[in-house]
Amino acid sequence: MKTKKALPPIIRIAKYTLIDEVRQKSFIIMFVICAIFIFLVRGCYQGNYMVNGQFLDAATVVRAVSKVTFHVIGAGVMLITALLSMRVFRRDRDDGMQSCILSKPIDRWQYVTGKIIGLWALSVLFMFILHSIVFLITSINLQVVMPEYLMASMLCSLNLLFVVIAVLLLSLLMPDIVAFLCVMGIGVAGLAADGISALSQSQMAQAMIQQPGALPTSDWTWWKVIYYLWPKLSGAQQLASSLISSEAFHGFGPIYPLINVLLYCLILGTLLFRRFGKEDLV
Amino acid sequence: MIELNNATKRYDSLAAVDGVSFSVKTGEYFALLGPNGAGKTTIVKMLLGFTRPTSGSLSLNGLPSTQAACRTAVGYLSENLHIPPYLSGWQYLQRCAELLDISRSDATDQCRRIVELIGMQGREYTKVNTYSKGMIQRFGLGAALIGNPKLLILDEPTAGLDPIGIREIRQLLESLKHQGMTIFLNSHLLSEVEKICDTAAIINRGKLLVKDKISAIVKDGEALEDVFVRLVKG
Repeated sequence: MKTKKALPPIIRIAKYTLIDEVRQKSFIIMFVICAIFIFLVRGCYQGNYMVNGQFLDAATVVRAVSKVTFHVIGAGVMLITALLSMRVFRRDRDDGMQSCILSKPIDRWQYVTGKIIGLWALSVLFMFILHSIVFLITSINLQVVMPEYLMASMLCSLNLLFVVIAVLLLSLLMPDIVAFLCVMGIGVAGLAADGISALSQSQMAQAMIQQPGALPTSDWTWWKVIYYLWPKLSGAQQLASSLISSEAFHGFGPIYPLINVLLYCLILGTLLFRRFGKEDLV
Repeated sequence: MIELNNATKRYDSLAAVDGVSFSVKTGEYFALLGPNGAGKTTIVKMLLGFTRPTSGSLSLNGLPSTQAACRTAVGYLSENLHIPPYLSGWQYLQRCAELLDISRSDATDQCRRIVELIGMQGREYTKVNTYSKGMIQRFGLGAALIGNPKLLILDEPTAGLDPIGIREIRQLLESLKHQGMTIFLNSHLLSEVEKICDTAAIINRGKLLVKDKISAIVKDGEALEDVFVRLVKG
């Protein structure tokens, strides 16, 4: 009964958040630019690509280019989500909507949940539409149907939830633009760390690191601990994109990034609710 | 209906509200008076749960002000009201009704009645960014009246209104008296307060100076303004 009463305000606040964001000119401009980019990329699918003197077949080209497009869209939407989230509380405060909502018998946690759901739904929809455009281009023009592309898009939405919660939390503690830069920094640092980690595991790098006569080092150095505990945004995206190329994976390792991001969402979400609960509303 | 028990709000070493206690009964028209920075708005914010008291307690409808349920059947008009500029006055009223879980048909009926009450017929569908401050204030008051509240908390409701607008708001508030509504009014316009309210409290530097019936505060031959100046200036 309690849940039944709590749900309508959350859904309404989520609806208003979504509608108010879509109304913004900046949002429409960003969406149009992204859609134009996707349409421009479609030329890449029809080129003749040669590797080691052999032409690649159309299906391989489509999958490879789609994977690149998938990552570009994923990263781009993460950036846009952070931009949208960073000013949500401030705009609501300035527009008087925050005091309008919270002067009604609505709890603060309902307000914050509504905001998170609204922003998340909007960004997931945004990304899904862009990924769907790629899906339609490859299905209709190139006759390569990849339903796993849309599944990968849904899996990637967990990253967007992380971005929404992290930016909302940080925007309560620091200026909006700094909150945006911090969350983007977390993503970029994770991507760079993944790159370095992949490089260090290559045979050439291993040979360079292992000097003759050097003492064996411990497997768990401090930077490795930080690396594993760092938010695995790029890892989660990589895992999602592995669905497109139908890569098989075994054991717990490959799904670790998803669990990592999910745990971060829960921890940061708890902190966000606690922080907003103590906030003095102007 | 409203109860403050030794309510205190401190910002570091500054006491915005310092041990204030008073109560407002059901059906009472109450005015909270004080100069700028006296702590009036802080009391309103504590009552609505926007900010927590450092010590003491506040309750609305018998419930602690920290519980959302205490704001059931409470209408609120904030000082310096803002309405999202991309909405029309009608859309704003509809949103307020939706947030109170009022059915669509009831909401439309109530909004229509309120638009008439605040005298904004013909302008309700235009965007808020074309409204004057006085028009925004009227829609704010209209929004506070949605859901037929039993208690109205009004923070400077006549701010930005012209003399005719002030008079209309006063007449509107007087007409609500017959419906048994309780009003908590924060205002600088002492002459208006004197005409509308039954009881008043005067605070200065966060401390309660007096709380009584206006007829008891104002002595013969004096105006409320004289009492106010005398008490505030010490």
